[in-house]
Amino acid sequence: MTVGPVILEMKSITKVFPGVRALDDVTMTVRRGEIHAICGENGAGKSTLMKVLSGVYPHGTYEGTIILDGEDVHFANIRASEHAGVAIIHQELALIPELSVTENLFIGGNEVATRGVIDWVEARRRALDLLARVGLEIDPDTAIKNLGVGQQQLVEIAKALAKDVKILILDEPTSALNEDDAENLLDILRSLRSKGLTSILISHKLNEIAAIADSITIIRDGKTVETLSVDEGTVTEDRMIRGMVGRTLESRFPHHTPHIGEPFFEVRDWVVEHPQIPGRLVAKSSSFYVRRGEIVGFAGLMGAGRTELARSIFGRSYGTWRGGQILIDGVEVTIPTVQAAIAHGIAYVPEDRKTLGLNLLDTIKDTIVSAGIARISRHTVIDLEAADAAAEQYSRAMRIKAASIDVGVATLSGGNQQKVVLSKWMFTEPRLAILDEPTRGIDVGAKYEIYGLINELADQGKGVVMISSELPELLGVCDRIYTVFEGRITGEADARTATQESLMRQMTDTATTNPSTTVTR
Amino acid sequence: MQVPDHSLESKERSDMKRITTAVVALGAVAAFALAGCSNGSRGDTSGSGSTPSGAGTGTAAASQFPTFAAGATIGVSLPQKTSENWVLAEGLFNTQLTAAGFKPMVNFANNGVSDQQNQIQAMITAGAKVIVVGAIDGSQLGSQLEAAKQAGITIIAYDRLLTNTPDVDMYVAYDNYKVGQLQGQALLDGLKAKKTDGPPWNIELIAGSPDDANSKPFFEGAMSVLQPKIDDGTLKIPSGQKTQQQASTQGWLAKNAQNRMDAILAANYASGTKLDGILSPNDTLARAALTSVKNAGLPNPVITGQDSELESIPLIADGTQYSTINKDTGKFVTQVVDIIKQIQQGQTIQFNDTKSYNNGVKVVPAFLLPPVLVTQANVCTAYDPATSPSASKAALATDYCKSKG
Amino acid sequence: MKAIRQIFGGNLRQYGMSFALILLLVFFQWRTHGIMLTATNAQNILNGYSYVLILAIGMLFVIITGQIDLAPGSVAAVVGICVALSIKNWGFPWWAGVLFGLLIGIAIGAWQGAWLAFVGVPGFITTLAGQMLFRGLDQFIGKAASVPVPKEIRYIGNGYLPEWGPNTGLNNSTLLLGVVALVAVVAMELRRRRRVIRAKGTPVPLWAMVARLVGMAIALGYLTYLFGSGRYGTSFPVTGVILVVLVLIYNFIATRTTIGRGVYAVGGNRAAAALTGINTKKIYFLAMANMSFLAAVAAIMYVGRSTATGPSDGVGWELDAIAAVFIGGAAVSGGVGTVVGSLIGGLVMAILNNGMYLVGVGADLSQMIRGLVLLVAVAFDLYNKSQGKPSITGTLLRGLRMRERGEAKGMERPRAGVTQS
Repeated sequence: MTVGPVILEMKSITKVFPGVRALDDVTMTVRRGEIHAICGENGAGKSTLMKVLSGVYPHGTYEGTIILDGEDVHFANIRASEHAGVAIIHQELALIPELSVTENLFIGGNEVATRGVIDWVEARRRALDLLARVGLEIDPDTAIKNLGVGQQQLVEIAKALAKDVKILILDEPTSALNEDDAENLLDILRSLRSKGLTSILISHKLNEIAAIADSITIIRDGKTVETLSVDEGTVTEDRMIRGMVGRTLESRFPHHTPHIGEPFFEVRDWVVEHPQIPGRLVAKSSSFYVRRGEIVGFAGLMGAGRTELARSIFGRSYGTWRGGQILIDGVEVTIPTVQAAIAHGIAYVPEDRKTLGLNLLDTIKDTIVSAGIARISRHTVIDLEAADAAAEQYSRAMRIKAASIDVGVATLSGGNQQKVVLSKWMFTEPRLAILDEPTRGIDVGAKYEIYGLINELADQGKGVVMISSELPELLGVCDRIYTVFEGRITGEADARTATQESLMRQMTDTATTNPSTTVTR
Repeated sequence: MQVPDHSLESKERSDMKRITTAVVALGAVAAFALAGCSNGSRGDTSGSGSTPSGAGTGTAAASQFPTFAAGATIGVSLPQKTSENWVLAEGLFNTQLTAAGFKPMVNFANNGVSDQQNQIQAMITAGAKVIVVGAIDGSQLGSQLEAAKQAGITIIAYDRLLTNTPDVDMYVAYDNYKVGQLQGQALLDGLKAKKTDGPPWNIELIAGSPDDANSKPFFEGAMSVLQPKIDDGTLKIPSGQKTQQQASTQGWLAKNAQNRMDAILAANYASGTKLDGILSPNDTLARAALTSVKNAGLPNPVITGQDSELESIPLIADGTQYSTINKDTGKFVTQVVDIIKQIQQGQTIQFNDTKSYNNGVKVVPAFLLPPVLVTQANVCTAYDPATSPSASKAALATDYCKSKG
Repeated sequence: MKAIRQIFGGNLRQYGMSFALILLLVFFQWRTHGIMLTATNAQNILNGYSYVLILAIGMLFVIITGQIDLAPGSVAAVVGICVALSIKNWGFPWWAGVLFGLLIGIAIGAWQGAWLAFVGVPGFITTLAGQMLFRGLDQFIGKAASVPVPKEIRYIGNGYLPEWGPNTGLNNSTLLLGVVALVAVVAMELRRRRRVIRAKGTPVPLWAMVARLVGMAIALGYLTYLFGSGRYGTSFPVTGVILVVLVLIYNFIATRTTIGRGVYAVGGNRAAAALTGINTKKIYFLAMANMSFLAAVAAIMYVGRSTATGPSDGVGWELDAIAAVFIGGAAVSGGVGTVVGSLIGGLVMAILNNGMYLVGVGADLSQMIRGLVLLVAVAFDLYNKSQGKPSITGTLLRGLRMRERGEAKGMERPRAGVTQS
């Protein structure tokens, strides 16, 4: 890896919001042609720093200097930074699903327009060219919505390349990708690097950073903690964690002694049909069981059908149920609605908390009591004191960091929001808690706390189902892991003996047999 | 678990009691104090303080209506600003009332009945002594009229009768039944003069808006002349739409009349049947019907109208529209203002019809003005430049009148 | 400054439009040389606009769920004619006619609610269809006639509370209402304080609470005087009493019941509400049905005041109600809005209208001004929300509030809907 002279220096950047110092005298130096990673906990200031660089926070709203290619630059807006060669790809992709790849690539039309009229032939030719540079062999007339997330990510990069970019900033680029697509993306970044492109990578995924970055800036509490250079020695994940969190974590996962009892929840031959596409089954005769005090994991690639299965069980809130039974304590029950599910002691913490788990207009207090509101109300009138008490209790028990329970949930960090959602479901006192990607988008410190909470749930004798795309997480927390592939449960493994490879094999296995459906008592 | 400490609570509680009594007492005191500060007897504080029984200035004998001082406010509540006559009326009321020394308060209720209700309330609050009401819906102002009566205000119903209430003092209008009769007769005369290939003649009927009380006298007046001719076969109505309900035009809207006429023409006159005449209650609907007939490619029928609208006057002059009615707005307004002056001075108003207008609760004394039929024969001289300046100008500007010198 | 904030109880934002209301009152009081704030005018305002305010309450719930209702005017027309005809032609006693009308309102509401909730036709379309359907039905039933209503119903629309008792210089019914209101306000304040103490929170200091109560006492005292000192025989009008009762009931429903919470939840995030176990269909149905029920109430009040039905009843009512709700702070995207806010929004429009009549502004100019006021009020409200700032007065207190809250570590400046990665 030949790394050149300094291309970007951000010196003593300070950004203050009312009451908060988001960035405090942060300095970062990036060399030409390197992949520079920035990591830090949620709220550390990573995104803020990149927003300063890309002009989202224009010159004048921060202190400090930015020197790009030897010049002191003042960006008045995003366009100015793009002109200077800085392109940022956000976590939420800025593509228009209904339009084609070509249209998205030249969204302003400026590069291929003369006097306002767009030359589509030229646009298409250049689109093919750009797609080749990111290794995408697709028809540029395909609509974005018909591409997979991984491909969309690459289109975004192609879009940035179209703008003659010098520094490419990627904010959590692989967070929504499966392992294959993530690997592919990293390869593309490597190949772009070899052609001289400089990239800045913000990521939580420490293993990826360790694999690809040339240098790493660690930011904690708005301050630069240290900059590690990868060719000076081996940078390990633990080393990075220590920098980010300020303490060593003995292990990523809290220690837990399982106390597992008898099976109490069982699903047999559950079949679910796709809501829009008749005939397409998203769950094909799935069967599984959960024991008291047990944490059961569900591993699978994106699109395997785990979320669909879980939501269907949870009151048939996804797709059309086409058969199967649920048995609780050995007795068959019918659960046709979400309310029925709650009444039977099932809780479901959704994958996407912002769109499915929270009403962003609500306060912490309102959210915590919302699923179990029947408990604290009589004839539809809510007992406000009981609501206050319950919210305070869970807020403390879950260690939610906020000024008070009357704060709006929209203002909380990702980890705290997830804790609020968890509290909401714990308030319903469930017997089975289904957690769908419970630590997605949450920093290392908060993840540890949530693992601890999951363990506590198990210790209370509840059953926990954990759906996750992070195999290390599943192996570190669960007692038993089912693997799912294309709607079928392909395997059941003991977490103590399984490995990432063995799980991955079962997650991609096409010749399947269902695990034992009889409950061993 | 700690034993809860109640001592703070009980202190708080007695504090609370003291605060409560203090605050409630304060509030009550505030209310009483304000009441006491104002005059002890509860008169109406809105300004119109005259008592309802004719104690006024000057006349010793009990006058017909309460008298009042010379510079008083006079309220005029008009309906929507939809036709030139109303706009003309607004201007004339303002000028003439001011000239008579009063303070005019003239309003259009563009937003409908509730607007008019609120405007009348405002006039009462502003201390008007007489309110002239050109109602949008004459039956829905009962509450406001009651309030006005209680404040001693005289109510004049202008052009549209106020129904279902005892609180209207008089009705001033052009004799609308006579208008209808004139229209019916004009239709017959026109058919005789211009459609010489009959009798029998084919005619169609248009009536006004069902919610306007005036639509009925127009229609019934016309039918009093036409019905005998329908009965004896001189007149035929091919569409069969003979009742006022069938012939009515919601809202007096031109497009409604045109749509209906389009449908009638398509259904009954598509294969050669001739249309000789149309009874139309006003000029706007007449022109709408004429457009419909022209679009259908049929020859010009004999058609009646009313209001002497500026757009119809040239049509009268060249014979396209056979007749219209002149209800001189100027004379109308002058008449009302004269009545108001008489009331102010305590003189007795001489009504010329005290029998015909039963508004559902009482018979309202009426002062009717005579309408004037205008056809090509008299169009050049029918309009008085003093009281109908624009109509007069429009007539004299037509080639027809110019050629007559 | 902190003192002022504590007196008002912390959330200055919701008072923004109230200040506008008071400003309007002061302005018109000056321009009309004192006529605006007289007993007669105040009574007229309530009599003339209570029906719009009641519609606004119903519309609020519909708008919070993210829907809209374009039919309340047509529904009101149908209810009005049915009430009047049932009494005139079928010989119903007046109260049976009223009951009949309310039932029709509920039936229509159930119809519209069913199309929205169970068939899934968006509220805009369902009620647009309803607007046409029920206007036609009104004309079909009533044939555009004006049917008078009996005096009991006229009393509902234009009546006053009785005079009795010793000569206090005020209408005693109004005085009694004022005293009861004051006692209730004080009791609620004390109860709230006790609740906060018991939940181990920090209550507002005693003096601040007393100051607030004294302020409310003076305001209530003034209102009692304003309505009670009119001509003998007038008082706080019956329409006002109905309005206040409905406001109290619906405010309670919105803030203290599971149905109310359900409405806000469905409006804020429908998918999340469904996954929380809320019956979203039921909520949509109830909100829509309730709107038509309140339209029936408004119809009876309006027809009572007009003494008779008319073919143009109800025309344009939905727009007045919608304007009131949005001026009162509701969001177009749903999930936000309060009963009191809508009440204040409606009062702003009412006072604006009334003031313009009194001053003599013509109908056309008046219409233009109303349109502009709606636009500016909502734009201003949006601006405040996006900045996370409350009203102008709130800006003064912003620094103080932030310092007090003491931002926890890792929390960025609060901005609605944005979280960090």
